Amino acid sequence: MTVNKELIEKIRRKIVSEKGDLINRIYYEEGAGLLIEVSRGNLREIAYYVHEILDTYLRTVAGVDERPIKGVFSAYYVFGLDGYGLNIIVVTHMPPEDPKLPSITDIVPSADWYELEMYDLLGIRFSNRKLYRFVLPEDWPEGVYPLRKDTPYNIRPKPVKSQKQVLSGPRIPVGPYHPALHEPEYFELYVEGERVVDVEYNGFHVHRGIEKLGESRFTYQQVPFLAERICGICGFVHSVCYTQAVESAAKIEVPERALFIRSILLEVERLHSHLLWIGVACHLLGYDAGFMHAWRIREKTMILAELLTGSRKTYGINLVGGVKKDINNDKINATMKTIEWVENEFKKLVEVITSIPQIVKRAKGTGILPRSDARKLSVVGPVARASGLKRDVRKDYPYAAYKYVSFKVPVYSEGDNLARLLVRVDEVFESINIIRQLLDQLPQGPIMSEEIEIPENAIGVSSVEAPRGEDIHFVITGKDNKLYRWRVRAPTYQNIPALKVMLKDAPLADAPLTIASIDPCFSCTDRIQVVDLSTGKRRTISFKELQRYNICPRCGL
Amino acid sequence: MVEGCFMLKPSNILKKSIWVFHLNTGGCNACDIEILDVLTPYFDAERFGIRLVASPRHADLVLLTGPITRKTLPKVVRTLRAVPRPRLVLAIGACAVGGGIWHDSYGVIGGIEALKRVLEEQGVVIDKLVYVPGCPARPEAIIYGVAVLLGIAKPKVKETEVEVIVR
Repeated sequence: MTVNKELIEKIRRKIVSEKGDLINRIYYEEGAGLLIEVSRGNLREIAYYVHEILDTYLRTVAGVDERPIKGVFSAYYVFGLDGYGLNIIVVTHMPPEDPKLPSITDIVPSADWYELEMYDLLGIRFSNRKLYRFVLPEDWPEGVYPLRKDTPYNIRPKPVKSQKQVLSGPRIPVGPYHPALHEPEYFELYVEGERVVDVEYNGFHVHRGIEKLGESRFTYQQVPFLAERICGICGFVHSVCYTQAVESAAKIEVPERALFIRSILLEVERLHSHLLWIGVACHLLGYDAGFMHAWRIREKTMILAELLTGSRKTYGINLVGGVKKDINNDKINATMKTIEWVENEFKKLVEVITSIPQIVKRAKGTGILPRSDARKLSVVGPVARASGLKRDVRKDYPYAAYKYVSFKVPVYSEGDNLARLLVRVDEVFESINIIRQLLDQLPQGPIMSEEIEIPENAIGVSSVEAPRGEDIHFVITGKDNKLYRWRVRAPTYQNIPALKVMLKDAPLADAPLTIASIDPCFSCTDRIQVVDLSTGKRRTISFKELQRYNICPRCGL
Repeated sequence: MVEGCFMLKPSNILKKSIWVFHLNTGGCNACDIEILDVLTPYFDAERFGIRLVASPRHADLVLLTGPITRKTLPKVVRTLRAVPRPRLVLAIGACAVGGGIWHDSYGVIGGIEALKRVLEEQGVVIDKLVYVPGCPARPEAIIYGVAVLLGIAKPKVKETEVEVIVR
């Protein structure tokens, strides 16, 4: 990440002159950003200043147990200065006996989940807000915080009785746990008749303790393999994001050819992911022919990925300092042929999809996310771009080989489901275009850097534009060839809170498409609970069944 | 139900098309999209009569993917209890087979072996289990796994007793 030095100095001076008396220390660290150390009493004021006056958005928050090295708990609030490619990191420390912070959710609404997560996993309390069990299972005992350094990664505490209150009123569960097709995630929709009034999210069923594993059991070069398994759809995004974060913390120069190969694979992954989503969207709209066609086209990109990396998914070719597998001329030719075929077939499919009035009518004007809400909630990726925010990490924080190619960032202002569909359709064509340019310019040279030395206690922040939006990894390096802290923030994390706005006052029948329209890691919304507020009746129905409110003629694919 | 019918081979009961239920117990999605791949045009498992259903009560076979996380465990047990017998399970992917890369993390209880112990305590019987390793399991392997389970194809490995060290 290269940022204009003068610009940093200008911003630094601006902050010092306006808020200098509230800041303990301000300094620039290459690979991370502009760090502002504040005491916890001034956190709210500085957060307001950085978020509102400097016009930034919250990218991630990392709570760190720094007791073994600094004797404190810390919280790193990473804000992004849109369009400048600069991170402003607000750091605050807490004494170990009283880990407590003022909540900033009223200033930065998107901080809500981060605070809950810090409370759950690190035991940091927040004043002026409601705190509840969020990530960990209900039967997890109080007072065991897995991300604290004195908690072993393989701890298996005995289950305790759940504290959760059972909601009153008749409850008719239709089918037990129901992840048919989808990941186990869980939404509660509150409805009045057919109108959605509110939505609640109850997730983290797939919490596997990845961050803790990366900090304890794995070494630097093993973590990319773990990172790939965060998500089976956009896994390469995570491994690139992790390696970049470590590389920027340790200031490792990566050979150009490796950067090109990474970019090519990222775009191949985007192709398969967008085709997958377009297929699922068609399926949710009851247009199964479109679903099958999209997946027929997508299969070629999977075969292409296998040709380039050796695996259909979880490519496993990424390492800190470069990549393991090269691309030769035969592979370049085969790739060119495949993407041409995909382009032609996809063009035909798009023509059909966009000319079917039933599809367009269902998608147009539903699930609207206005621009102002999109900004306030710090949404990312196609969701942001469909609401008129020109936010694309590939342009804003150029990484890998994206500075060598020219491409358009599709932006629509409508903010509805159709806009989100069209953004993804445009991006498929842009991806094909990017792959072509990268293959044409592929430079010669090594694919792995020779010298890899990683210093201790260096901070690295890196972001990658995943198919679903911006993915951010925050690392602090440690000793023994291991990470000290690894914070992963996937794009869906930022986008799910926006569903509250999108679903409000919408008809129930539009809910499945709207929920899927943020592409929550392959519409992981398996089960939806419908509560009829007018009668107080609560029943649980599956996502599949909710589809029956639509025109879905056959359930079960 | 007659206890005796469970003694028969599944292939004697399930002769025609087999209905599958997809159960993600906390996996990363890679195996899950490969399962979908199996059902879409390129592999098109529906030509063998393999069809995805929305309810475990309709299912002949459960496609289990992912390590069993602590949060999904009670729900997984309930789902498997709802499957009619003979209860057939295909453990797909490295995580489902043995917990995979997560096997000793605080967030998961392990793979299908750990789940089997819990199921045993709760009186849920799995009548037949076939492992499909891979990370993720390839679509061909998933189809092959179903064929092995039904007795159409022969398994490539023999059953041998190994000592499993359980923490």
